[in-house]
Amino acid sequence: MEVGARSDIGRVRENNEDSFRLAPEMNLFVLSDGMGGLESGERASRMATETVLTHCRDAQADAAIAVFGKQIEGVGEVSNRLASAVRLANQEIFQAAQELGSKGGMGATIVAVRMLDDRACIAHVGDSRAYLFRDERLNQLTEDHSFVAEQVRRGIITLEQAGRSRMQNVLTRALGVEQNVDVEVTEELLREGDIYLLCSDGLFRELSEPQIAGILQEASSAQQAADNLVEQANHAGGGDNITAIVLRHSPKAAGAMSKIGRWFKPSEDPL
Amino acid sequence: MSKLVLKFESSVLKEVAVGQQEVSIGRSPDNGIVIDNPAISSYHARVFHEDGRLMLQDFGSLNGTFVNGQRVKMVMLKPGDSVGIGKHTIVVTDSVEVRAHSLDNAAVKPAVPKINETVMLDTKDRREFLRQVAAVGESAQPAPGRMKVPTLVVLKGSTDRREYTLTDKLIVVGKSAMATVKLTGWFKPKAAAQINRREDNSYYIGPADKVPSVNGTPITHPTKLASGDVIEVAGVELEFVVRD
Repeated sequence: MEVGARSDIGRVRENNEDSFRLAPEMNLFVLSDGMGGLESGERASRMATETVLTHCRDAQADAAIAVFGKQIEGVGEVSNRLASAVRLANQEIFQAAQELGSKGGMGATIVAVRMLDDRACIAHVGDSRAYLFRDERLNQLTEDHSFVAEQVRRGIITLEQAGRSRMQNVLTRALGVEQNVDVEVTEELLREGDIYLLCSDGLFRELSEPQIAGILQEASSAQQAADNLVEQANHAGGGDNITAIVLRHSPKAAGAMSKIGRWFKPSEDPL
Repeated sequence: MSKLVLKFESSVLKEVAVGQQEVSIGRSPDNGIVIDNPAISSYHARVFHEDGRLMLQDFGSLNGTFVNGQRVKMVMLKPGDSVGIGKHTIVVTDSVEVRAHSLDNAAVKPAVPKINETVMLDTKDRREFLRQVAAVGESAQPAPGRMKVPTLVVLKGSTDRREYTLTDKLIVVGKSAMATVKLTGWFKPKAAAQINRREDNSYYIGPADKVPSVNGTPITHPTKLASGDVIEVAGVELEFVVRD
C-alpha cells in the first residue's frame, strides 16, 4: 500500500481542527474532523484518531482485549474491532465534552480504514468520507451522516439541491455528542490498481467528483495526489480545513515482497 | 406555469416547475427529477415547452413511459395527465402560485453560505426530523419489522451451490477464497462482481474484474438491486430474490 497524506488549515479558518494518523504497519489509516471551535475541535479530532490507533494496536498485541459495544453482523473481526475503536473514541470525547460543560459543542467526525489482503474495512461517523477510484470511476463508499444526505436518501431533495442547501453543515451523527454512537461499517473488495481516498468535508465541498478523480488519476504518487488535492481545494476557496489520505494498492510489488517476507518468517511449527 | 408532481403511491416526493428549461427524468443524479430505481433508465424521458405546448419525450427507455396508461414516445401533456415511469407517477398540474414560490427560492440562493461551522443536530430536533422524513419517505422504504431474507438463486452456470442466503455486507461472486458465490470451472475471474449491503439493508451491485449486467443492462457503477433482478456475470445467471 503506497500512502500519501496532507492536512491544511485552508484559507479562511484560524486553526486546523482536522487530524489524521497513519499506521502502515497495520495498514490502518484514520482521519477526523473536529468541531466545537477554539481548542475543542482540535482536541476532539486528535483524541478520535489517537484512540482508534491505540485500541487497534492493543488488540493486535492482545486479541483477548474486549470488543467494545455490540457485534455487527455480516462483517469480519477486523471491521468489528474498528467499530469498537470508534465507539471508544466516542466515549473519550463525550467524557471530555462533559467536563467542558454543554456549551462547548465539542465533537468530531471520523473515517478509518484498515486494509486486509482481499478487502478494505471502513468505519465512519459523520461526514468525513471514503472514496474508491477504480476503472476510471470515483465511487463514494461512505454515506454522510448529515441532515441533507438523509433528505437525499429519503427522496425529499436531489443531490444537486443538497449541494446548495443551507443545512449542509448539520450532522445527524458525530463522536462525543451522546454516550453511545452508531458506527457504520463498510467492507469493500480490494483490487489491483485501486486508489482509496479518505477526506474531510473541506475537500469535497470545494472540488467536484470529476476534479477529484482527475487528480487521483494523474498524480505520479500517492503523496503527490494528496498534495494536489489540498492545493486545488485551497485554490477553489479553502473555506474549511482540508485533509486527504491517499492509498494506492499495487499488489504486483506488494505480492513479490510478501513472498520474500514469507521465506524469512519463522515457521509456526514448533520444530 | 406547469408543475410536475412526483409521487410514489400516495406520497408526494417532489414538485418541479417546468419553465424555459426542460426537465429531464431518470436515474442519473444530474436529472431534474431523479428516480433512483433500477427500472428507470439513466436518462429516461424529458418534459419541455415547444410552441407554447408542454411536451413529453421518452428517450427510448427500456421499461417505457406511460401517459394515462398508454405507452408513449412523444406526446403533448395537459393538466391532470398522469405520467407513469416504473412504479412512480408524475402528475401534471397547472399552477400560478408556483412562479412566486420559485422566485422566493431564487432570492434565497445567493445568501447561502458555502461553508459553515459544522454543527450537530441536537437530539430533540433530530428525533423530530427523523419522524418527519419517515412519514414522507415511508412508502418508498421497506416496511420495518418484517423479516426479509435476501437470496441469490443460481439460474445458470457452475457454482458451488444452487442458492445463497445473503448475510455478509460484502458479497463477492468469483473464484477467490473470499467469494460467497463461488464460481467453479476454468478461467473464471477471482472476483467477477461484488454486492454490498448498505445500512438500510438495500443491496448494491457493482463491477469488479468483470462488468455484470442486471436485466440485460451493463452495470458500470454501484446500482441498487430489486427483488426479481437477474444478474449475469462470468457465464452465470443469478436471480436476486427477497423473501419474507
